[in-house]
Parts: sequence; C-alpha cells; structure tokens
Amino acid sequence: MMNEQGRILERLLSGDFICQISDEDAWRFLKTGGNADKIEIQLNMLNRTLASAAEGDVFFAAYQSLGDPERKVLSTQFQEISSHLVPLVEWLLLVQQASGTDVPVTQGSPIRLTELQSTIEDTPAFAEQLAKISHYKLFGSTSVSTDGQIKQVFKRLTDLGYMLRPNQDKQIFIATGKVEHLYEVIKFIDETESLSLAEQADNAVQQGSLI
Amino acid sequence: MNQNMHQAGVKLLNALSRHADLIMQVYLSGVLDESKFSPKVIDSLIKQGILWRPEADAELRLKNAVRQLLEGSLQDERSRQIDANIGSALAGLKTLAQHYKEALQHQRFAESQAHLSDLSEHVYRLTETLSNNVRLLFSRINNEFGYVSSIDAKIRENQLAQSQVSELLGQLEMFQFDELSQIAASHRELRHLLIVTLQHSFSRATQELSIVQAQLLSLLGRFRELRGRTRLLKGFLLHMEQSPDFVPVNYCGLSQVPMLFNQAHSIIKPAVADVKRVEHELELQKLVSAIRTLNRPQKPYQSERAAHEIVVEQQSAVEFKEDKLKQAVEAYFCQIIDSGERLTALEYYQQHQLDFEPEAWLYQVIGGYQGLTLEEQSYFALETNGQNHPVYTGNFVITDVELGLR
Repeated sequence: MMNEQGRILERLLSGDFICQISDEDAWRFLKTGGNADKIEIQLNMLNRTLASAAEGDVFFAAYQSLGDPERKVLSTQFQEISSHLVPLVEWLLLVQQASGTDVPVTQGSPIRLTELQSTIEDTPAFAEQLAKISHYKLFGSTSVSTDGQIKQVFKRLTDLGYMLRPNQDKQIFIATGKVEHLYEVIKFIDETESLSLAEQADNAVQQGSLI
Repeated sequence: MNQNMHQAGVKLLNALSRHADLIMQVYLSGVLDESKFSPKVIDSLIKQGILWRPEADAELRLKNAVRQLLEGSLQDERSRQIDANIGSALAGLKTLAQHYKEALQHQRFAESQAHLSDLSEHVYRLTETLSNNVRLLFSRINNEFGYVSSIDAKIRENQLAQSQVSELLGQLEMFQFDELSQIAASHRELRHLLIVTLQHSFSRATQELSIVQAQLLSLLGRFRELRGRTRLLKGFLLHMEQSPDFVPVNYCGLSQVPMLFNQAHSIIKPAVADVKRVEHELELQKLVSAIRTLNRPQKPYQSERAAHEIVVEQQSAVEFKEDKLKQAVEAYFCQIIDSGERLTALEYYQQHQLDFEPEAWLYQVIGGYQGLTLEEQSYFALETNGQNHPVYTGNFVITDVELGLR
C-alpha cells in the first residue's frame, strides 16, 4: 500500500497543483515541517524540486536543473500560459462583476453556477461578454445559448485545474490555488515588463472609461 | 409626582405598542410616509416625543432615543455610532460619589441611598456602553462590512472603525483607578461600584479592543489586496486593449528561469497490469469479465462469401423423371379410357407382361387413383376384390382391383 508521501509524490509528478482546496491533506502534509524535505529528496532523483507559489498556498513540481529539453518544455508551457491569460482574466472579471460583491475570485471562492447563470442571462452586457469569452480557443465553445457556453467554460476550467466541483450532483464550483498562481503570473509580468497595470486601471477609472 | 410619572410612562409605552407598525416603518425607511397614517395619530406621536420634524419642511423622523432603543435591542448592524464620551461619564460618577459621601457624613441616609442608586445606574450604564461598543465593532468585522458592497466602501468603513477604536482606547485611558480609589476611600459600596465593577469592564474592554484593532488591520490588508487584484486584472485587460500585440518575453529563455514558470511536465503514466501476480488475480478477473468489447478477428477476403448480383427470372418448372411403374399405371388408365371396358389390374398386368412385383403394382394403381383430383376420380370407379381375413375380423385383404369408367 502507498502511504501519504507516495500519494503526494504521485500527484506532484503528474503535474498537479496541490493547494488547500484541491487536496487539503496533502497540502497540510507539505506544510508540516520536515515533510517537504522528504518529498524534496525523492523529487531530486528525478530532476524535480518542490516549488511553491502564492506564499506557500500552492505546491507543484519544478525542474531542478534546466537542460535544453527542459527549456523546450517550459517554453511551450509558457506560450500556452501567456495565450490563456486574456480569456482567464476576462472570465475572472466577469464572475466578479456578475456576483455583485466586488470581490475578486480567490482560492476557496465558491461559485454557484445557477446563480451566476441567471445574473448573466438577465444582463445583456454580461451575456455578450460570456459569449466572447466562451469562444476563445481556450474554452472552445460553439454553443449559442448562455447555458451551453457557461457549462463549457466551467468544464474547461475544471479540466485545467482552476476550479473544483466537490459534489458532482451540485452546480457549485470552488476556485483552487491555481487561481492564486495565475494572479502571481500576472503580477510577475506586470513587474518584469514594468507595465504598472494597477496605475493604468486607476487612471482609467478616473477618466471613467472603464466599466 | 411619582404616580404621575408612572402613568405618563405607561401612556408613552402604550402609544409605542399601539403604533408599533408605524414606528417600525419609520425606523426601517428613515422617514415617515405621512399619507399612510392618520394625521391625528401622527400629531399625538409628535406630542409624546416619539416623532419629530427636524426642519419645517423636512419629513418626520424618529427621535434619537427611540431609534437607539431599537438599535440596541435589535442588535441592528446599521447602527454605527460609537459613544466614546467616557470622560464626561467619569466626571459625573465622581460628582455623584462626592454627593453620596457628603450625605453619609451628614447622616442623611435616605438621600445617600438615592445618590447611591443613581451612581450604580450610571456605572452600569457606562459598562453597558463599553460592551455595546465593542459588540458593535465585532459585528461589523464578522460580516466584513457586509452592509456596503464595493471594496472601496469597505476600506472606508474599516478606516472609520479604526479611528473609532483608537478614540475609544484614548478615552479608556481616562480611567484613573488611583483617583477613583481615593474617592471611594473605605466605603464598601463605593469601592465595589467604582473599582471592582468598572475595572472589570475596563480590562475586558481594553482586551477586546486590542483584538478588534488587530482584526481590523488584517481585514484592511485583505481588502487592499482584493482591491489590488481587481486593479491588476482590469489594468491587464486595459493594457491588452491598448496594445493587442503585447506578448511577454519568454522568461524560460533567461538563465535563471523564475520558479513561477518552472513547472515540470507530468512523467507518471498509468502502470501496466501484471498477470503473473497471484494476489491480483481476482481483481483482474473482475476487470476482464467487465470488458464489453467484441473481438472479431479480421478474416481475409472470401470471394465466395462476397455479395453477388442476384438475377431474378422465371423458374423453369421442375419435372421429375417419372419411373416406369408410374408410366405403366398411366398407360393402364389410358387403356381403360380408350376401351371403355372394365379391367382388373392383375389382368392388365398379365396382358402386358409387366415385370414389377404384383403387390407393388396393386399399390401403385390404388395410389395412382387416389393421386387424381376429385374431378378426375369421379370419371373412374375403382373396385377392390378380396376377402376378409380368416382370423382377424375387420381386416380386408385385397387380392385385385378393378378399374372402370362410370
């Protein structure tokens, strides 16, 4: 039988993100002192290392040393991530606006699909936005109905690991730590390219040109 | 006087209960909709000091005292007032304590009792205000300022609450217990009220306020982070709108790849079943029995099994070559028709020297006759010659048949 450590190792090696939402046991295990080191030793044998993002909210496996083949993998991965950014950000903002609480989606935010859907259906601007988002290549919806679009978007998000559906009978989704990772990525790009995104948004709000 | 007070108070409370609907409507909506209630009722409520008109052309509102009563009893989170005027309350306490001591010194016991009860009332009111204020702050923290929707408003509310907390803490510093203990001196009641009760509530309030302060700070931090995220997202979209061809540099080409983008790809693939493991046998068997795939081997092309074109045409009638016996019977029938005379089968048999078994011949004649259609049968008559079986009755042994035309 496999112990907890083996189970976590397997998850990490299959490229999963471990956070409090997706696998609380594993997350707590990694948070407990000394356990992370044991996993690290085993990962090192396979040229992997335990990496964490969002102030230790998310754990994943990273390469320990980078040769050419690893760099190639990372490059394609990066291109994928950067092409996903716009659809994901638009979706995050749509959920935030439609939920009416002005609180951005973060790890652990529950999203009730039926409530969200009815708000979007009642507001033509949201419905239009959803149609735009769902037709991005990332989500790849071909549906013309709001129902089909939103279901496809959430299905894709669950596949990609951004959302979790704890109960298959209920249309309730919970955002995972991967969302936090996404914020970190945007933050990183913002800082590295010195885009000063927050200032841009502030200026736009003052000019009244944004939403 | 006391009786009058009692009556007036009861009258006021009755008015409150009689017009409870009206009062609650004003409490919830803020102002009175005068068209909904009779002017007489409104007038009487104004006279009793429950409603008032702040300005000549303003609408009627609830008096603050009534509003506070409701807010306090209903623990309504809308009430955001923090009464921080502890200094004046303390000054009042000190004065009352002096009155009490003076009355005791002059041995006016009735008066001193009145002062003491007044004093206890004030002390308890002060402690209640303190605990109420703390409760108010906590309830606002607990629902994260749920009464305002936008993050910016929450941040402002949080800042207001923080200033109220520091105000309260500043006021609490005015409690000087050495002074109070001097005033109380050796009077037991005074010591109990001024020192024990007040100190108890003081220490609890300061303790809870420090927790409140910490929580408010962490909430503020969270709100700011949320606001920062929203800005980040909006700013990103704005940036992408303004420069649609923006692509971040591929950080994986850097000599030091940031950990954020260093995600190892999946290397674990499902394991393969090991059929030689005895302990897995049961499981594997279950799996195998659950397999529903039909496994048809691919056969080579078989020309004879391939589809052929089917030609539909009139089938030629099948004719069997009749054997000689049947032909002989037909010839026998024809001779009867030609001659029109009766002739037994055996006579015909001898005339034509047929080489069949005589018994078979007889059977064939009978069969030939019965093989005819009913219409044809009716032209012929077949008579059987023979005798009954000598031993077994009911059995007729045919020795010959005779055929003729009817």
